[in-house]
Amino acid sequence: MKLNIEGLLVYFPYDYIYPEQYSYMLELKRTLDAKGHGVLEMPSGTGKTISLLSLIVAYQRAFPLEVTKLIYCSRTVPEIEKVVEELRKLMEFYSKQTRESNNFLALALSSRRNLCIHPEVSSLRFGKEVDGKCHSLTASYIRAQHHSNPSFPVCQFYEEFDAVGRQVPLPAGIYNLDDLKDFGRRKGWCPYYLARYSILHANIVVYSYHYLLDPKIADLVSKELAKKSVVVFDEAHNIDNVCIDSMSVNITRRTLDHCQNNVDTLHNTIHKIKETDAAKLKEEYRRLVEGLKEANVARETDVYLSNPVLPDEILQEAVPGTIRTAEHFVGFLRRFLEYLKSRLRVQHVIQESAPQFLKDIYDKVCIDRKPLRFCAERLQSLLRTLEITDIADFSAATLISNFATLVSTYSQGFTIIIEPFEDRTPTIANPVLHFSCMDPSIAIKPVFQRFQSVIITSGTLSPLDIYPRILDFHPVTMASFTMTLARTCLCPLIVGRGNDQVALSSKFETREDFAVIRNYGNLLMEMSAIVPDGIVAFFTSYVYMENIVASWYEQGILENIQRNKLIFIETQDAAETSMALEKYQEACENGRGAILLSVARGKVSEGIDFVHHFGRAVIMFGVPYVYTQSRILKARLEYLRDQFQIRENDFLTFDAMRHAAQCVGRAIRGKTDYGLMIFADKRYARADKRGKLPRWIQEHITDGSLNLTVDEAVQLSKHFLRQMAQPFRQEDQLGLSLLTLEQLESEEMLQKIAQVAHQT
Amino acid sequence: VHFLFSFRAMASLSEEVLLVVKKVRQRKQDGTLYLMAERIAWGPEGKDRFTVSHLYADIRCQKISPDGKAKVQLQLVLHSGESTTFHFANESTALKDREAAKELLQQLLPKFKKKANKELEEKNRMLQEDPVLFQLYKDLVVSQVISAEEFWANRLGGVTNTDPAQYKYKQEVGISGAFLADIRPQTDGCNGLRYNLTADIIESIFRTYPAVKQKYNENVPHNLTEKEFWTRFFQSHYFHRDRINTGTQDIFSECAKQDEKGLKSMVVQGVKNPLVDLLSLEDKTLDEGYGVCGAQPSTSNSNRTVKESSNYAIIKRFNHHSAMVLAAGSRKGETSSTDGNSRDSDFFQPPVKKVKLQEEYEDLQQENRPKTVPLNLKKSDRYAHGPVPLQSQQYTTSQDIINSVNYIQHEMANYKPNLTQVLSSTVATSAISALSPGGVLMQAGAQQAINQMVPSEVQGELKHLYVAAGELLRHFWSCFPVNTPFLEEKVIKMKSNLERFQLTKLRPFQEKIQRQYLSTNLTGHLEEMLQTAYNKFHIWQTRRMMRKT
Repeated sequence: MKLNIEGLLVYFPYDYIYPEQYSYMLELKRTLDAKGHGVLEMPSGTGKTISLLSLIVAYQRAFPLEVTKLIYCSRTVPEIEKVVEELRKLMEFYSKQTRESNNFLALALSSRRNLCIHPEVSSLRFGKEVDGKCHSLTASYIRAQHHSNPSFPVCQFYEEFDAVGRQVPLPAGIYNLDDLKDFGRRKGWCPYYLARYSILHANIVVYSYHYLLDPKIADLVSKELAKKSVVVFDEAHNIDNVCIDSMSVNITRRTLDHCQNNVDTLHNTIHKIKETDAAKLKEEYRRLVEGLKEANVARETDVYLSNPVLPDEILQEAVPGTIRTAEHFVGFLRRFLEYLKSRLRVQHVIQESAPQFLKDIYDKVCIDRKPLRFCAERLQSLLRTLEITDIADFSAATLISNFATLVSTYSQGFTIIIEPFEDRTPTIANPVLHFSCMDPSIAIKPVFQRFQSVIITSGTLSPLDIYPRILDFHPVTMASFTMTLARTCLCPLIVGRGNDQVALSSKFETREDFAVIRNYGNLLMEMSAIVPDGIVAFFTSYVYMENIVASWYEQGILENIQRNKLIFIETQDAAETSMALEKYQEACENGRGAILLSVARGKVSEGIDFVHHFGRAVIMFGVPYVYTQSRILKARLEYLRDQFQIRENDFLTFDAMRHAAQCVGRAIRGKTDYGLMIFADKRYARADKRGKLPRWIQEHITDGSLNLTVDEAVQLSKHFLRQMAQPFRQEDQLGLSLLTLEQLESEEMLQKIAQVAHQT
Repeated sequence: VHFLFSFRAMASLSEEVLLVVKKVRQRKQDGTLYLMAERIAWGPEGKDRFTVSHLYADIRCQKISPDGKAKVQLQLVLHSGESTTFHFANESTALKDREAAKELLQQLLPKFKKKANKELEEKNRMLQEDPVLFQLYKDLVVSQVISAEEFWANRLGGVTNTDPAQYKYKQEVGISGAFLADIRPQTDGCNGLRYNLTADIIESIFRTYPAVKQKYNENVPHNLTEKEFWTRFFQSHYFHRDRINTGTQDIFSECAKQDEKGLKSMVVQGVKNPLVDLLSLEDKTLDEGYGVCGAQPSTSNSNRTVKESSNYAIIKRFNHHSAMVLAAGSRKGETSSTDGNSRDSDFFQPPVKKVKLQEEYEDLQQENRPKTVPLNLKKSDRYAHGPVPLQSQQYTTSQDIINSVNYIQHEMANYKPNLTQVLSSTVATSAISALSPGGVLMQAGAQQAINQMVPSEVQGELKHLYVAAGELLRHFWSCFPVNTPFLEEKVIKMKSNLERFQLTKLRPFQEKIQRQYLSTNLTGHLEEMLQTAYNKFHIWQTRRMMRKT
């Protein structure tokens, strides 16, 4: 259908539309008009992606000079691919309606692991290996060597791409990862570099957060993207953690040992080269003196991690004299390494700020701040000069030099914590140096500054006002949309008591309490008897889950559950969990039914959807607070309090509730879907917890279901499930939660829709 | 106690007797139990004949009384469902006798089981499941109207033709996920544990844990008796999943290792559905060492505490158990049902992934599927809660009844016939007379009274005759058009079958009802049907003759 969104003609590739999609587009258009940033929350399964794409594409077509590019960032590879498929549908609709082929170019970009077509390289399983192998076939000096000696192996796909691939831009169309690979195979071009090159002139780019938020990668990949782009962060409820992760470093004794080896290798290589090809080193030195930012003309293939600090923090000066020659730099690295080793030989926990660390390093080993800041860059240059092929081997040295650059660049927003052992095993020495970023706004700041509109959106962003605060930006629109429903297809229940009236809670004091564990088991057992197909249960942590599973096993609860359903359990091993997950789906598919025991904040809770019968009930055992004893977290909370005036408890609760909402939201993936959401902890009933759930869940929690016993919850669930099992047809939705174009255009409906958006 | 001698009492045919057990009671009668080459038999004391005799092929299984029971018994369950119980009454050696008999039977029964043809079982099953078919079988085959082969040739073929999937691949029964829970030990009161094992559970264990089956085959009965084997099984840490494997003297430690290997290979194989592959889910670009929790605590096995690793072992075992149960349920050869997306060859991108990626909002699109009739629930509450016993308030109150009576009276009082629309009186009278007993339209009424005129036993017989005749006629008519030599042969045979049927079944029946002075009209229709068939046959035959000449 063709929509009129405040004067903008929007092609929408479906025959019907949800009311909230309409208001979402309305809000989005206002954000784009104002050239500002927006925070939009809309439940998953209400067609957020297609609304975003439809509106922004229409906007791009209407105002080609205002918005030149859409950069769509998502979290996981399947999500990225899904976005592209939706886009394909939209574009097909366009060409069908307008009867002309449009010259839109849209593509997905992913890591080499997902795009490589080189037969040897692509058979490697881990991303790091693929990157390393690719580098060893495509680096500029390798190719130069190949030039002089054709028997030297290179990647023919890259060669082909380099020779002709840049002359003609990628023909217009929609390219998913597989399409890129197909295209690459047909032409004999490397799809990865083709994609990286093509994002510069593509109308729409879909890739992962890291390509924009991690300075080490963003500098390589996204540096030249136009400023007049709209950036969308989908599933952005965790964006602050992504930001923090991209700027944080951990150093263990193992890292240092690896680094020691790296430094030795560097030393030997320098010696060797000095004997054979001293001119090379001299040339590098000359360039560094001249202050060329990059000592060699860095080709796109030469580095795979760039400077870890943000572009505007990189010094535009010549590398200081003390580390200009290769030997001096290696000596410098040695000294730095020894210093770090000495710091790791601690007996008690140390926490200090970056300036304190710099002062200490100056006092102890006379290392200045300035050479430290150039450390990362200098190492890159050296690695290139020495023509080190296997860069992956040098990850430890790279890590250390990145740390050096980071710690000397930022004096605020970071903390250094050195822990001699893990808290749970105080007898085993395992010193770790955490250099952790506490301020997510640091990493995302350049994005907000550079691009005219940044949209942060997700199904669970409540409470909305906290994101602008922790990310430090000023949105022009903030809105939360609820899900209009023709039937109440979600049933949130708060189970606060067992049948024996024992209060259920995962709080620390009652964690080991057998009565609570038994009642939790009872809840799961009762549910396994009444819920069809799949049940997903989330625990607050791995340790907690393991303990509960063990005691359920001892008490024979698990065996009773097995009478109803098969049990699969998430482990910390991703491969094992994948297998369990696949078996779980198989068991749901063939009618046997299964239970998946999983962990909030784990991989399953973040990336796997349990549509329809794969998840008819989600049980959240406890409130998934983050491990509060962690010193990193404490430092971050302190920082948040001092800098952003966010109270510790507010943040902790916010963080716990967004994860709880993520977990329970996994089960509802659309209006035809249905599922139970069971919050098994009495603390959920409190207003401060409940109030932080997304509005679309909150409004279905009735006062009567705030403190249920297990039996009461079972009764309510039975009733709910029987009602939901009735056929649900389009006619039932039409006019209420599903609209035709005529219905949408009626005055009455427009008024109703205006109420749907919840302005804050 | 193995004897090997010839038993003279069975004068007619001398059989090899493998075992003789004296003082075995059956139905409270003392006697002797004989295990012979092909059958088991029991004769009361002092008599020269067997009162109980079962072929091994007829025996489905044997059951024994649990140890410690006062009576030492052995029960034989036959395929027919009957069972015979022997009580070993020799006080001193009862247990030993029973064991000897049991062991011998254990070796003998499987041999005969294999002999019992699969097809036979199938036929047997069909006859058991379908009483009509069984009756037909009795009528036609047992009374030798047609041969058994003829009967089955058509039957089995027909069945498999119409619905091959149903019979060829009969759905295998899966395994309960909790079969291990069903053998929860019971304390017997004196510091011991008792496990109840049934054949089903053993089968479940074998199907879920092939390694155990292998062990069983290796060790039983050469090294261990069955009982010892299972005792060890329940004692092993293999069964108790939380115990970490330490000892090597346990025969099941190898099983655990094999399971481990199986689990590992399953994990290494990876998953076929790219959407659940957690390894490739993330577009991971953070290297090791970056990120807030780069150094994951407690992932390395080295610094796990004993309790933690035992917990971890439980979790692993549960995943493995569920996976195995699931695999045992789905048929062999057919791997996981979802899709066939192989990860190593990306030249081959099956459509499954595409389909999964394109999952859309089906409700946003015009519906194309056929319209279904929705369940129209007047009282959805009643549906949701299931049938509820009638409650008093659902009875109509007397006031209601009075009201409705009044209402009807009122209606009747105000009733005005619409006289312009009614029939003339003559037409009405003739219609009434036509519809009265004996009237034109009620002719059939006389015959309908057959259930009053004919005794039920004759009715039953007639019914069987109809079914049998129908079956034969079906065979007969299915031969037309006769276009192959085989069919020619068959049609001739079928005709003679029909004639035989008429002679051996229908005639006696007719004579019988004549003797009982019942109307012979009862079989008129049957004869008519047969006659039609004969006519058809004659036409066909004359045509064939003409063509030949």
